[in-house]
Amino acid sequence: MDARTRGGGPSRWLLGVTALLGGCAWNAPQTSLVPRSDFARAILHVYAIITWAALGIATVVVVALVVIFVRFRSREGAPLPRQVRGHTLLEMSWTIAPALVLLVIAVPTIQVIFRTQGQVSGALEVVVRGRQWWWEFAYPSLGVVTANEAHLPAGRAVSLRLEGPDVIHSFWVPQLGGKRDVVPGRVNRLTFTPDTPGEYLGQCAEFCGTSHANMAMRVFVDAPEAFERWIAAQRAPAVEAPGPAAAGKAIFARSACVGCHTIQGVSAGLVGPDLTHVGSRTTIAAGFLPNAKGPLTAWIRDAPALKPGAKMPPLGLSEADASAIADYLLSLK
Amino acid sequence: MSTRELSLGHAAPAHVETGVWSWITTVDHKRIGILYGVTALAFFLIGGIEALVIRLQLARPDGHVVDADTFNALFTMHGTTMVFLAVMPLNAAFFNYMIPLLIGARDVAFPRLNALSYWIFLFGGVFLNASFLVGAPPNGGWFGYANLTTRQFSPGLNIDFWVLSLQVLGASSVMAGVNFIVTILNMRAPGMTLMRMPLFVWMTLVVQFLIVLAFPPITVGLIFLMFDRFFGTHFYDVTAGGDLHLWQHLFWIFGHPEVYILILPAFGIVSEVLPTFARKPLFGAPVVIYSGVLIGFFGFGVWSHHMFAVGMGPIADATFSMGTMLIAIPTGVKIFNWLATLWGGAIRATTALHYAVGLIAAFTIGGLSGVMHASPPVDLQQTDTYFVVAHFHYVLIGGSLLGLFAGAYYWWPKITGRLLDERWGKLQFWVTFVAFNVTFFPQHYLGAIGMPRRIYTYPPGRWWDFWNLVSTVGAFGIGVGVLLFLVIAGRSLRSGTRAPADPWDGRTLEWRTSSPPPVHDFDTIPPVHGRDTFWREKHGDSRGHRPAPAPPAPEPHGIHLPPPSYWPVVIALGVIVAGIGALVSLAVVVMGAALTVIGAWAFALEHHGDPALADQTGVLGVDSRKVALWTFLGSECLFFGTLIASYMAYKGRSVVGPHPHEILNIPLTTISTFDLLMSSLLMVLALAAVQRGDTFQARLWIFGTAFFGLIFLGFQAWEFTSFVHEGLTLQTNLFGSTFFVLTGFHGAHVTLGVAWLLTLGVLHLRGRLPARDAVKVEVAGLYWHFVDIVWIAIFTLVYLVP
Repeated sequence: MDARTRGGGPSRWLLGVTALLGGCAWNAPQTSLVPRSDFARAILHVYAIITWAALGIATVVVVALVVIFVRFRSREGAPLPRQVRGHTLLEMSWTIAPALVLLVIAVPTIQVIFRTQGQVSGALEVVVRGRQWWWEFAYPSLGVVTANEAHLPAGRAVSLRLEGPDVIHSFWVPQLGGKRDVVPGRVNRLTFTPDTPGEYLGQCAEFCGTSHANMAMRVFVDAPEAFERWIAAQRAPAVEAPGPAAAGKAIFARSACVGCHTIQGVSAGLVGPDLTHVGSRTTIAAGFLPNAKGPLTAWIRDAPALKPGAKMPPLGLSEADASAIADYLLSLK
Repeated sequence: MSTRELSLGHAAPAHVETGVWSWITTVDHKRIGILYGVTALAFFLIGGIEALVIRLQLARPDGHVVDADTFNALFTMHGTTMVFLAVMPLNAAFFNYMIPLLIGARDVAFPRLNALSYWIFLFGGVFLNASFLVGAPPNGGWFGYANLTTRQFSPGLNIDFWVLSLQVLGASSVMAGVNFIVTILNMRAPGMTLMRMPLFVWMTLVVQFLIVLAFPPITVGLIFLMFDRFFGTHFYDVTAGGDLHLWQHLFWIFGHPEVYILILPAFGIVSEVLPTFARKPLFGAPVVIYSGVLIGFFGFGVWSHHMFAVGMGPIADATFSMGTMLIAIPTGVKIFNWLATLWGGAIRATTALHYAVGLIAAFTIGGLSGVMHASPPVDLQQTDTYFVVAHFHYVLIGGSLLGLFAGAYYWWPKITGRLLDERWGKLQFWVTFVAFNVTFFPQHYLGAIGMPRRIYTYPPGRWWDFWNLVSTVGAFGIGVGVLLFLVIAGRSLRSGTRAPADPWDGRTLEWRTSSPPPVHDFDTIPPVHGRDTFWREKHGDSRGHRPAPAPPAPEPHGIHLPPPSYWPVVIALGVIVAGIGALVSLAVVVMGAALTVIGAWAFALEHHGDPALADQTGVLGVDSRKVALWTFLGSECLFFGTLIASYMAYKGRSVVGPHPHEILNIPLTTISTFDLLMSSLLMVLALAAVQRGDTFQARLWIFGTAFFGLIFLGFQAWEFTSFVHEGLTLQTNLFGSTFFVLTGFHGAHVTLGVAWLLTLGVLHLRGRLPARDAVKVEVAGLYWHFVDIVWIAIFTLVYLVP
């Protein structure tokens, strides 16, 4: 058990029970059971209370069924059982008892609703745009735009401003808290304070068309100094390495790439992800391919072949040209 | 004479028609029940195969059984099929077959309308599945969230199939709903008071009210989507000011009551099966009834718990959370009352009882995980994950389907006249029940460790592999269970033991007639001495007093069985041809519409003038046609209420003009409103004249009403034309979209009213509308007054409120 799990007694026990359930592991990569923010911890706390109440009620029902089947089987020649039609006191008691259990659940529920949906002053604002089928993260106060991989400072409140330019998506990184839909025409907020540095997986949780399954994201929660370093690197101008990367830059600049992608100082397209520091990311294609030469080259040549419905059309680039562009992009650290 | 009259004392007609044509034209509730059952079973198998392909794809990470678009179509069609084409019609099969038998009636209130419901359902279901044949199956999810389902993001025919067939299926459900409400309220045998009705009848009644009231909102939502896709309106167009929450509200105002539409019949079945096999009355029957009614009632106030993630704000979240938790109380009461029914009983562990008890266990799990979703913070982690998939399968398989199986094993001898093999039946139960738990219990865990719904694939390394494989194995186990049932059923039909009339020592009226029942259900309408009336006849009441044999209920008209009719199938054909036309060409739409109109006319006039049908007063003391119209108007209230509420919600959101105050002509509309109000006055005079047999005045006022209606339509045509000239069309802005759709649908209602009145007028001119048929004028008048009242609401809210 992780010492940092502060979800209180009930949730600690819940994790233990879950772990015992036949090879279940609670700390899976995208789990909702190992909270790493105030928001996620508050949720797990309520979840644990309800789970224990539910287990209690389920036990009562199952035990009653077992007792019934042991005691009340029909026997040959036995007279008719007593024709009981009801019992007011009993029925009232099993109306009131669930109501009391629900009250126990309702109070923390309401408290957590209002605690987790309030405004926090001094929060870092990050604009999250869900698009078919990738994520854009913009830090307006810091002048940084990136895609599919966000960095957040540990210990500081963040306020996500969720905007949807096309259809409805849902932002969900389970260890950092519950999901919130990205609704075109509306602005939703999600506020939480990540508390533990690490890499957290998430993905779109609202069906959004063909490649809904391929719309993952990573959130890196950094120690404050590491976050500052990341911001500084992202704000620096893109500098390509000499050699094949320079050739790739030239091909990129004269291809259709520039119509959709932004690379600061090179192009200003707004349709696809900002590539200014794409080389600093660990994955491409909304989190499902490693950011390495081979996959990147294949992706540049024919994205829909790797990700159904991908909006980047095959441009008919030769293997050599695509490879050069890949070199260029990977050099944009 | 258009009804075959049987003299009392004859057990059955000498000759029962069999061939295909007799099934196509049948209006017998039992045959329609069997048609529903067989058709729904076929769709259930299709939906099951879709589920197995889904599970095969997800059995391993990076699955390649199907591609992304096919997978998205499969889960869309699996959900849509199981809800609308499998579970609802399987419920309908039992409603149709059992309700008249349980209330001691010879048929439903409107047998031909019943047939019409079935044929529209069948054609609608075939139409939806035909999308596979043209390679365009719906792929936007069973919940069809706009704006993904608008033309911009779903350009193909896929969503068109979905939008059209759902509207058609909704019409079928609402018709059946009206029919069963009237049947249950008005066709009960003498002595069958409401509180003596069997639980299955009660739950059916609640379900029909839910259907009649819950379908209009989704119908309006679908109409908006259809207009967006076909006519370029802007209901779900964000750039024009549309609000995507609108669709979600309209969908879930329907969608949550739909859950109870699916499950309450199963609760009713369990409440019949448990007392029978515990040989004890249902414990606290009135409380079980009230809790069912409460569940239905609360069910209308909790829809937004499906929307905790959309960002409604903390107050809405808290309110809908509390409402949802409240539902757990009556649901819990039901479970405890069932347990108390078994407690102290003499339990015969038949297959039907196995299924009923399996339901209690499985539904308890589904209900408890439902309480988790009622807590918005917890729901934010669980919604749209496999945890929710597990939850609602525990409700819909663990609840509905196990209940339906209980009903199938329980009533099979009554329906087929043969017994099912109990030993094989129990094996079938255990296979299905274990496989069901193996399939869905691990999905709770998969959701908790982050597996979202509706993903066609997942990468390795998420730790989802093992339990997905287990779930797939379980799913095939369910498949084996279902196949086993088909084998057992087939063997029973071929060579099963003959069933006596009352194989289970039953408690309710269906066991009092032969297995299967004769065409006319009961030779004499059975006496009703109290709850569990048939049990009392056999075993006496709780003190052992046996009721004195009552004289048979008087039957002033003898036994009337309605003759077969082919007009239901003609109308249904017309509806579906129009639906196909919407995808093909306008000419086909016109053909379909013409066929529908002609069919409806012939249907309406088929038995006109039959003296045996002149008086349809039932146990409520009201004519069944009037009860039906009142029920229908309840549905219409929700329909227009939703249209008007949508107009109000969108008011002022148009991003371009013209705006209402620039274009609405209030003085002119005041005149047309006055004209419509006066038509209601004429309608009152017309009814009075028909009732007292005043030929001249009757004709004057009937045609006068229709004429005033035409004047109103003339005003509306003039208004629409001038708006178009001033640059306001359906496509101009949100105001244009909402205004034309709202007033247009009202105009369509007025048009229907005028056609109805003209038909009555012509009948009167020909001397075919005597005073004894005045109720037909009364029913038309009720409709007419309703349409006028709706207009007053529209005039006030759209024209007068600035």
